[in-house]
Amino acid sequence: MGDDQFKLPPGFRFDPTDEELVVHFLQRKAALLPFHPDVIPDLHLYPYDPWELDGKALREGNKWYFYSRRTQNRVTSNGYWKALGVEEPVITRSSCNSTHKVGMKRYLAFYVGEAPNSGIKTNWIMHEYRLSPLSAGDGASSSSSSSTTTRSSKRRGHLKTVNNEFSEYVLCRVYERDEDDDDDDDGTVLSCLDEVFLSLDDLDEISLPI
Amino acid sequence: MAPENMSISVNGQSQVPPGFRFHPTEEELLQYYLKKKVSNQSIDLDVIRDVDLNKLEPWDIQEKCKIGTTPQNDWYFFSHKDKKYPTGTRTNRATAAGFWKATGRDKVISSNCRRIGMRKTLVFYKGRAPHGQKSDWIMHEYRLDDNNTSNCITNVPMIVGEAAQEEGWVVCRIFKKKNLHKISSGSTIMSTTTSSMTTETRSAQSLFDSCPEGALEQMLQYIGRTCKEEENEGNNMSTRFNLQSINTGINNHNGYHERFLKLPSLDSPNSTSSQDCYQPNIHEEMMGAENNIDEDFQHQMDSGLTNWAALDRFVASQLNGQAETSRQLACFSDPYDCNDDNHELQLPTTLRSISSSSSNKSYHATQDYNNGEINLWSFARQSSSLSSSDALCHVSNGSI
Repeated sequence: MGDDQFKLPPGFRFDPTDEELVVHFLQRKAALLPFHPDVIPDLHLYPYDPWELDGKALREGNKWYFYSRRTQNRVTSNGYWKALGVEEPVITRSSCNSTHKVGMKRYLAFYVGEAPNSGIKTNWIMHEYRLSPLSAGDGASSSSSSSTTTRSSKRRGHLKTVNNEFSEYVLCRVYERDEDDDDDDDGTVLSCLDEVFLSLDDLDEISLPI
Repeated sequence: MAPENMSISVNGQSQVPPGFRFHPTEEELLQYYLKKKVSNQSIDLDVIRDVDLNKLEPWDIQEKCKIGTTPQNDWYFFSHKDKKYPTGTRTNRATAAGFWKATGRDKVISSNCRRIGMRKTLVFYKGRAPHGQKSDWIMHEYRLDDNNTSNCITNVPMIVGEAAQEEGWVVCRIFKKKNLHKISSGSTIMSTTTSSMTTETRSAQSLFDSCPEGALEQMLQYIGRTCKEEENEGNNMSTRFNLQSINTGINNHNGYHERFLKLPSLDSPNSTSSQDCYQPNIHEEMMGAENNIDEDFQHQMDSGLTNWAALDRFVASQLNGQAETSRQLACFSDPYDCNDDNHELQLPTTLRSISSSSSNKSYHATQDYNNGEINLWSFARQSSSLSSSDALCHVSNGSI
């Protein structure tokens, strides 16, 4: 399954948006469409502890990605994932500039110990993406606008049935939250030194050797 | 080195698979891309294109340097640097709508303790120099180090690299600056929109707190250098000072008060005696400078003018009639507070003033000196003796 030929030039990183995760990865997965390249593994049958994911899930930086299925209690060998109670919709923008909900994203924290109440909370966080029930059906066909025009229109009827069966797919992103400063910026925030220099430039032209 | 078959062909077009973004490290930019470019090797996937910086505005570059269809926050391109004038060493970075202006100091990029290149930061200004209007567009320009033979970073003189590198290929990254500052506590604040000085200084303080070590030092060096330059071309007072604190540096400008006219008011209307006012002026200045363009600057300036006028008068009155004038760094309290001895120590705004050693109670420095107790506040302490090792700044009177 693994596409070993797949290799991008230096500098490319897997850094998907929520929308991409749902539209490109989850919808296609649920529709049983092939992936090229197939980068995200399905770990449904393996309830790994988060620290065991390395080498099994797709890793980029300090984040791991894998498919699983919806479940009420996500239990691993040494603990369990517990929802943090936060859910947010994943929105896609179609070509005609209208937006619609394609999925949901929810946040879970990992607890070490026995479910449901005797665990100790850790810094491990999971983002779990699922298709929203409405979009599961027409989502695959409406995604035709982007990439798979001819193919999906041919298969539309087929897809709908498949979707009902596989809409339990979820996509998980797991990472360990840093105590000090998680969520590194994307490079568009200047270092504070640069900020200072920038501000100094505003003072009456301080002449700089250029 | 790199495998040949790297590009992913979809419909005969090179395309990046969904979810992948071009986020090269500085090392990758220099060691892989720029090196290949310079040595004329082909790069399989055409991710970094050539751009004539003089022909394209930042927003055009954004169009031209798109990678795939996914949204991007930064854009990469190669640019060939040309000299501005045949004889000079400066680079021409003007476009039809504006120009790129270098800011700060070039940063050394190193990999495994080896210096591999330099990064210059530039800001795009709309209009023509020197009246351009600063925009949010920032460019990082990376160039390879000439002397790749030198093995360790240590102290390779910068001049060598810089002079030699005014022409040739560079790889650039442009992005729009975000005004959000992440504070260590995890909260995010807008640094530019706070109008109350108290908040402003506080956020500035946080900014400084979160500065990595070394950054401050670099900044001080920079400020020191700038000051020295101005000093030399300034008037005949030669002032020697040890730069150990921001305030001493930035405040030691000749004619600095003129500059201050552009800055927010010194005193904060509602926090005269609060601890929050114990912020060096440079803090407000740095943050406040960003405010210069927006409307509340005008407001602040209006309210500030009276103070500055008062200050001017005050300084003048001090200067007149002092036979031996020794220049000192002094904390100068808010003029309105000067009348009240009790408040003196409560509001030292870091304004350097040319003071005399003949005592005047409204000068903290002097009072401080008289008490023999140098404990005002950690930043702008002044000491009368150069030998005092813990004094943060010295200004000795050279030749007057």
